[in-house]
Amino acid sequence: MAERKACIIAGGMDRWGVREASIVDLAQEAAKDCFDDVPALKKEDIDGFLFASSYCGRTSFQVNPAPVMAERIGLKPTSICSRLDTLCAGGSSGIILATGLIRSGMADVVMVAGGEKLYTPQRWETYYSEMASIDHDWDGAQGMGLPPPFFSMTAQDHMKRYGTTKEQLAAVSVKNRRNGANNPNAQFQKEVSLEEVMAARPVVPPLGLFDCTPITDGCAAVILTHEDKAKELSDRPLVYVRGTAQASLHSMSMNWNGESLADWVHLRAAAKRAYEQARVKPEDIDVAQTHDCFTISEIVEMEDLGFCKKGEGGPFVESGQNDFGGKVPVNTDGGLLSCGHPFGATGLRQAREMLFQLQGRAIRQVEGAKIGLAHNLSGLNVEHTILIYGREP
Amino acid sequence: MPVPGVPILDGLYPSTLDLYPLEAKEFNRIHQFYENLRENRFTTTKCKKCGTTPFPPRVVCPKCNSDDLEWVDLPTKGKVLRFTEEVAGVPHGFDSPLIHARIELEDGSKLICRIANCQAGELKEGVAVRLFAYEVPPMIVEKRGGVMEEVPRMFFAFEPVK
Repeated sequence: MAERKACIIAGGMDRWGVREASIVDLAQEAAKDCFDDVPALKKEDIDGFLFASSYCGRTSFQVNPAPVMAERIGLKPTSICSRLDTLCAGGSSGIILATGLIRSGMADVVMVAGGEKLYTPQRWETYYSEMASIDHDWDGAQGMGLPPPFFSMTAQDHMKRYGTTKEQLAAVSVKNRRNGANNPNAQFQKEVSLEEVMAARPVVPPLGLFDCTPITDGCAAVILTHEDKAKELSDRPLVYVRGTAQASLHSMSMNWNGESLADWVHLRAAAKRAYEQARVKPEDIDVAQTHDCFTISEIVEMEDLGFCKKGEGGPFVESGQNDFGGKVPVNTDGGLLSCGHPFGATGLRQAREMLFQLQGRAIRQVEGAKIGLAHNLSGLNVEHTILIYGREP
Repeated sequence: MPVPGVPILDGLYPSTLDLYPLEAKEFNRIHQFYENLRENRFTTTKCKKCGTTPFPPRVVCPKCNSDDLEWVDLPTKGKVLRFTEEVAGVPHGFDSPLIHARIELEDGSKLICRIANCQAGELKEGVAVRLFAYEVPPMIVEKRGGVMEEVPRMFFAFEPVK
C-alpha cells in the first residue's frame, strides 16, 4: 500500500487560565469544541485516541487517563488509546504519532487531546509539583524544577555574548500579549506596554513577570485523518503534516551540549530534520508558533530555527521581523505568554492555530499563509519538537 | 507538613512527593554515590572496559554497554560561570534566596547546581566554589514486620570558598 498522507482537519480548546474544573471536565470541553469544528464528523468515526498530559498522575492522581477521557468524551477507540508525556511537547508528540499511524494505515481517524489541571486546592502543592518536571534525582533535589533560574542564565549568556537587551526581551512579550488580546481562549487578554514589561516585578533577573509564561489549567484537541477522509468530511482547504522532528541530545542540566546556554544544538538538529522532511527552508515559513515559555526562548528560537543569524535574535524581534508585516509572524494567537501553558495541550493549541491560519480563518490572520511551523521546547530545555504543516503535501 | 490534609495520610511518608532521591540501597543501585558524599567525595562511575566516565553515575556504561564499572573521584572545586538568585516563588523545602549557578569544575566539566551558604548579592562570576555535602531528611523505609526505619541521606550543593 502506498503511504497515505495525513491531514489535520479540526481543532478545539477551552478557556485557559485558573479553571474551576477538573481535568476530566476540561478534556470534555476541548473535545466538544473540536467536534463542533467539523460537524460532518461523528464520534464513531474516531478509531484512535491519544491523550497528552504530564501532570495528571501528580495533580489529578490519575494515571492511565486515556481510557477515562475516551469514555467521558464518548469515544470507543479500536486502533490506539494511549497517554503521552513529553511535558511541554506532549500534544505535538501525539500529532507526530498520529501522523505515523495514519500514514501507515494502522489508524484512520485519530483525536489527539491533552492538557493539565495544575492548580491544586493548596497552592504550595502546585509549585512543589512543578519540581517533578526535571531529572528528579539530580536536578529536583537542587531545587531546579521551576524553570526561571535556567532561563535567566540563558538570557544572561545571550546578553553577554550578543549584546541582547532587556528591551529586546520585552518586545517579545509586548507582541505576544498584543496577539493574544482578542483571543477568547487565552489566559491573558490584555495588552501590555513596553514600559509595563520593563517595570514589572522581577521573577529571576533579568526575567520579570511578563517575561514568563504563567501556570495554566486547560485542554485542547485536534483530529487527524488521511487525505481521502479529510476531503470527505470538510470543504475547507486541506492542511497536511509535512515534516516532523523531535530531538533530545542530553537529559539534564549537567550534560549541556551547547557552547553556552543560549546555543541550542538540539533545536538545530530537530529543525534540520523537520525542514528536510517537509522539503522547505526557513525562508519558506509563512507563519510560526514557537515555544515562548520565556521571552528569551523566542529570541533563541528565531536564531536556531534559521529565521535570522545566530546572535541577531534581539534586533530581529525588536524590529518586528517576527510580527505581522515582518519576515515571519510568530505566535499569532498570543503564544504561551498570552494563552498560558497547560503542558500537554500547548502543542495542540499551536496545531489548532496553524490549521486556522492555513485555512484562512484565524482571528489574527496572516494573509495567504501556506506553510506553517510549530515548535515546542520541553522541560529544562531537554527536548525540541517541530511540526511543519502545509497546504500542499 | 503544617497543612491540613487527608486524615488517612497523617504521619505517613509519601515517597511520591519526596524531592530527594530514594538513596537507600534497597531502592538504588548507585547508593555508593551518596555514601561517598558523607566523606565529602564527589564521585561517579568509570567504565573499566572503555574508560567512559559519565556524570551522573550509571549501572551500565552508556557508550559500550559494559556493566563492569568502578567508582572514581571528580573534582570538588570549581568556579562560577553564571548565577541566578531566585527571590520570589521559591518552592517548598528551599529557603529564599534560592541561588543556582552554572559552574566549571577543575577538570573543565560544567554543571548547574544550587549554591549553598551564600547570601543574596554575595556571589560573583568567577569566584571559587567547593563541594558542600549535607544531610537531608531521612527516608522512612518499611522493614520486615512493618517496622519503620529511618535511613539517613546525604545530598550536595556547592558553596563559595571563603
